[in-house]
Amino acid sequence: MIFSWLHFAIVLFLLAGLLFAIGPLILAGLLAPKARGGDIGMPYECGMIPYGSSWARWGVSYYVYALIFLAFDVDVLYLFPVSTAYIDAEGLVPFVKVFIFLSFLILSVIYFWAKGVFTWPRRIQ
Amino acid sequence: MAAQDSVVQPEYLTAGNHHMDPPLVNMKLAQDIFDVCRSMSLWPMTFGLACCAIEMMATGMARFDMARFGAEVFRPSPRQSDVMIVAGTVTKKMAPAVVRLYEQMPGPKWVIAMGNCAISGGPFKIKDNYNVIQGVDTLIPVDVYVPGCPPRPEGLLEGFFELQRLITGKRWWPVAAKVEG
Repeated sequence: MIFSWLHFAIVLFLLAGLLFAIGPLILAGLLAPKARGGDIGMPYECGMIPYGSSWARWGVSYYVYALIFLAFDVDVLYLFPVSTAYIDAEGLVPFVKVFIFLSFLILSVIYFWAKGVFTWPRRIQ
Repeated sequence: MAAQDSVVQPEYLTAGNHHMDPPLVNMKLAQDIFDVCRSMSLWPMTFGLACCAIEMMATGMARFDMARFGAEVFRPSPRQSDVMIVAGTVTKKMAPAVVRLYEQMPGPKWVIAMGNCAISGGPFKIKDNYNVIQGVDTLIPVDVYVPGCPPRPEGLLEGFFELQRLITGKRWWPVAAKVEG
């Protein structure tokens, strides 16, 4: 094995980073007095006692809303690089390619539209 | 398991058997240094119960600027705070939440009772009172009392200086001059 100062430096940096992260935790564990008992282990910290189980039911409308957000968001996200690169594109083929991609996203929007999501119903069929 | 005589009961801080265990490494010098560090970086909890909280906010803002004295970072969570400023009237309804929030703070921790209501019930300390706790020190251990109705921001700052003196055993800031009148 060939010794390299660069590798040594990298390992040194890794160790320093690890110590930087774990050091304060160890110090706090050793040197700080510990509060014990009472409600210190309670998962919530707003002062109220949580009730019910975490398997609660949520309105499915929110889930669909999140999906729509994704549809539009991904739409915009992928169109940014397209908009910068499109000026150099030649011919009709790039247009068709982008349009195929877009049509699928538009399909998803139409799907939700047909489902009546944009009217924000109480119950989605 | 039956309680044994050799087991020393810790000093409970609240009714919920909350207590503080001493640090694993309990060296005098290290703790003294840490005490100075702790007193100069007190993180109060954002916890206003009544009108005193307005003065507490003013203390944190630019005019009085608590950050000058090392106690700026108001934390929205008890898990990250050192100091609980009980700023206002503690009602019977709110008392369990106050105790719970105190218990959820990690050690070491301190409590400032701000204003007459938190100290003794203040204007609500009357015969027919049915819903106000007569002093928050009946629920949780209080380190510094800041009287006033409400205390001015200078008063709360003085309370912080007193807390810093309590932690480190030294007053770090100059004393304000007496004003005639």
